[in-house]
Amino acid sequence: MPWLECNSRRIHYELTGPEDGPACVLVNGLTQYIKLWLPFRDTLVARGFRVASYDMLGQGQSDKPRLFIEQDEQVNVLRDLIAALGPSPVFVGGISFGGVIALRYAIEHPDTIAGLVPMSSFAEIPPQLMRLGMAMRTALILGGTTYLQDLLFPMNFSNAWLEAKADLIGLATHRGWLINDVYALQNLMDSFLTFEPLTAKLPLIRTPTMIMTGEFDFLVPRPLQDSLRANIPDSALVIIPHAYHAFTLERAELAADLMARFARDVMAGRWYGKKSIWVAPDEPGGEITPFPAGFDHLRSIPIRLPEPQTSETAPQRESAW
Amino acid sequence: MNALLGPIDHAGRIPPTQQTRVAAFLMSAHGAQARQLAITMPMRLSEPWQVELHAQYCRELEILSLLARATSWVPDPQLAFLLWRWEQTWLPRPMPGAADHMHGLLVDMAALGHAIHAGVRPAALLPEDAAPLDPFVQAMRRIEFESGRLLQAQIVFLKGPQLSDVRDAVAGAVERRHEEVRELWTSMLQSLNVGAD
Repeated sequence: MPWLECNSRRIHYELTGPEDGPACVLVNGLTQYIKLWLPFRDTLVARGFRVASYDMLGQGQSDKPRLFIEQDEQVNVLRDLIAALGPSPVFVGGISFGGVIALRYAIEHPDTIAGLVPMSSFAEIPPQLMRLGMAMRTALILGGTTYLQDLLFPMNFSNAWLEAKADLIGLATHRGWLINDVYALQNLMDSFLTFEPLTAKLPLIRTPTMIMTGEFDFLVPRPLQDSLRANIPDSALVIIPHAYHAFTLERAELAADLMARFARDVMAGRWYGKKSIWVAPDEPGGEITPFPAGFDHLRSIPIRLPEPQTSETAPQRESAW
Repeated sequence: MNALLGPIDHAGRIPPTQQTRVAAFLMSAHGAQARQLAITMPMRLSEPWQVELHAQYCRELEILSLLARATSWVPDPQLAFLLWRWEQTWLPRPMPGAADHMHGLLVDMAALGHAIHAGVRPAALLPEDAAPLDPFVQAMRRIEFESGRLLQAQIVFLKGPQLSDVRDAVAGAVERRHEEVRELWTSMLQSLNVGAD
């Protein structure tokens, strides 16, 4: 079992795939741990990528500082892990909380990665998200890890998935309860109490960036993820149909396929983000289509935009998608 | 070495020898917490934080009472020595670098509480097929659940602004207490042929 030493902390990580392949680093969400990336990881490995997944500080089998975890420490862990991967191009994907860490990393170390993939992520915490976060923190404090997970399942997944996986949810909850510690989860949540918005720093991200968002994500609504697109110069927003917040679990093969195609396009010089907006296919390998011109991608009701279409909202097909 | 308690009997119960030693450890640890709280708490409450202290005290007593009644006790010749060792570890040791002796004692008490409530997870050792309605099984689950709540008072105090000047010393004291509790808990479980890690 490989371990990374970072400032006297031990980080549990796994490295899979061809040693000479381009690397993908996957950064967990709040209650996640390495094993939950398996289908996502395997899809990337099957496409020739070397994949590094790890338990963040305070998660899974990595060290769990007892009182304080600063987000700077998480960025340092990611920095050291990326440094350990060698000279191959590195693509960083992070989901939710992990996306925030990935964004912070890309802001602070802009020239060290080939591509960035924030998924279900955000750069600021408006009142809705703050209140949801505080409610989840209270749930953890009063009801423990299991109650928090009970809340997270319906927030993260579709009805179809919850119905299909009904038999497994109890087991997944038990595993999550075993591997997580209340104080460590609370420390991770508390690291947002002093969170400063990253929005003003997003233009510093020079890396090609593909932002992935679930069509029905109500935990981190689309405007929050669209703000990443609007502020990261070489970015594109990809909306995954029918997906909720945790699509790296529910639609793992599709999301990993999109990340692989993004990485291939970047490496082949075919990526042109241009702050464009796209709709992902329903299945891996399907066509990625531009968001319909003239409509507001932030609305569920198809409202026509008042202005004529711009290059930002209706991109020309310039990539290999 | 088994990963979990057991083997359970036909009714899904944990062996009484294991119940006895695990319950004795928990009673020793939570009993130390209750004693320290009782000493710290004045007869007449005058500050808001003392109300929380009182709540903690009552919950620790509830844990002791529950363990005493829910455990299938059997004679354990090693308990006298083990108890002596455990009790030595719970003795107060003021945090180095504290503003004064009392301050150092308070931090140590909270650090020990943090270690016991966060680091000791008895329900995580229950086999999946343990009888859910067995009183000992229920007690283990209840104690772990309550520990998550009891922990909050320690977190609020140890992470509070009044200790921000000595944050590293506080973190060190908590880490030290965690290490001590982990070592005792692990070795007690190993004496039952159960591996905690």
